[in-house]
Amino acid sequence: MEGYGRVDGVLVEPVGHLWAAFSPTSGETTLLNDESAAILEVLESGASDTPGVCAALAQDGGLDSQSLFAAVAGGWPRLLEAGLVYRLSNAAVDW
Amino acid sequence: MTGGVAARDTPALSEIGPRRLNRMLTTTGLWLDIGAATVRVHSDSSIFGVQLQTVYGSFPAIDDASWADLHVRIRRSTGLRRWLNPQALFQCDGLQAFDPFPAARPLPLFEWGCNWLIGRRLNDRLLLHAGALERDGLALVLPATPGSGKSTLTAALSQRGWRLLSDEFGAYDPSTGMFQAVLKPIALKNESIAVIRGFAPAVVIGPEFPKTRKGTVAHVAPTSDAVMRRHQLAKPGAIVLPRWEAGAAVRLEPLSPSAVFPALTFNAFNYSLLGAEGFRSAVRLVRECLAWRLVYSELEEALEAIESVWPRVLEHRSTSPD
Repeated sequence: MEGYGRVDGVLVEPVGHLWAAFSPTSGETTLLNDESAAILEVLESGASDTPGVCAALAQDGGLDSQSLFAAVAGGWPRLLEAGLVYRLSNAAVDW
Repeated sequence: MTGGVAARDTPALSEIGPRRLNRMLTTTGLWLDIGAATVRVHSDSSIFGVQLQTVYGSFPAIDDASWADLHVRIRRSTGLRRWLNPQALFQCDGLQAFDPFPAARPLPLFEWGCNWLIGRRLNDRLLLHAGALERDGLALVLPATPGSGKSTLTAALSQRGWRLLSDEFGAYDPSTGMFQAVLKPIALKNESIAVIRGFAPAVVIGPEFPKTRKGTVAHVAPTSDAVMRRHQLAKPGAIVLPRWEAGAAVRLEPLSPSAVFPALTFNAFNYSLLGAEGFRSAVRLVRECLAWRLVYSELEEALEAIESVWPRVLEHRSTSPD
């Protein structure tokens, strides 16, 4: 399972019912849904992977970890593209 | 940056004679204090002085100051060309950034050149491409893409009790959390010129310049009150995204912060350049301001719609933290 880290200096702020996130790496701003913002919050305490993020969110929200799997696994591509997270396996290449 | 460079007894540009103005333009330069910046301009074009007086008439005629943000020159072309096809050149710091204009149109060249320079240089502020006005100490910001009716609406509001801050720049200073005036004449194009003349017959509009790359252009002079108060800052109040649509009934639809955020960042000249500071500024603005999308075809209806929601803006800002 691939692991991911949160890019240093990422800013995340609520704007209405969405979240605005700024990546100092890409210089881009992205609007995120709650799930993606939650992933970034989990990664704030250290790098993780899909099961790890699901477990953290499940514990925090009192949910079934398996029910979160699709949302978390589906969130990585957008977070990667926006420069908000990096892959642990080839971080040096990506960023 | 400037904190105001004119002494109280400095005459207004409209009060000095053309010879004195031309002497300033050819020797010391004229220092135009537009609020957030000071432009020092030299020129050897006598027609430029005349045109400048029509739309900057209320500005103080300053011939010496300690600082200018922009140093520009409007020059007549030299060489054989000047006999066949006389031209005006815009120079900044000795460099010519644009193609020349016909010699009879130095004012539009000066206006476009200065706007271009301001958009590139005032990067300690978040510069929104927006009309900006003030009332009750609060800024009404109208971000829009070209062709949205922004300037026409800004001109109309400026003639009905709203203090003009700028037709082109919503200049937000992250260090103070306030909007600053970038006070220059409002550039009207084509049909908008007659619309504003009809809307506010007492409005002061400079000469019309036909056949520019944007069609016919004319400039609305800022009122003397707007000029006098150009250093008064305005707290963020409301954001209205205007769109003129022929024949449309007026619609003013509330926008959520998440809907207005992308519009704000898209319409900023230097959002990307400012990085995290730009992001924080945009977040702060969408949190502090109420926002609407305005579709209109009639100016009177548009103004009425804005007036109708302004008490809500006042109430919102009186209860929200700065």
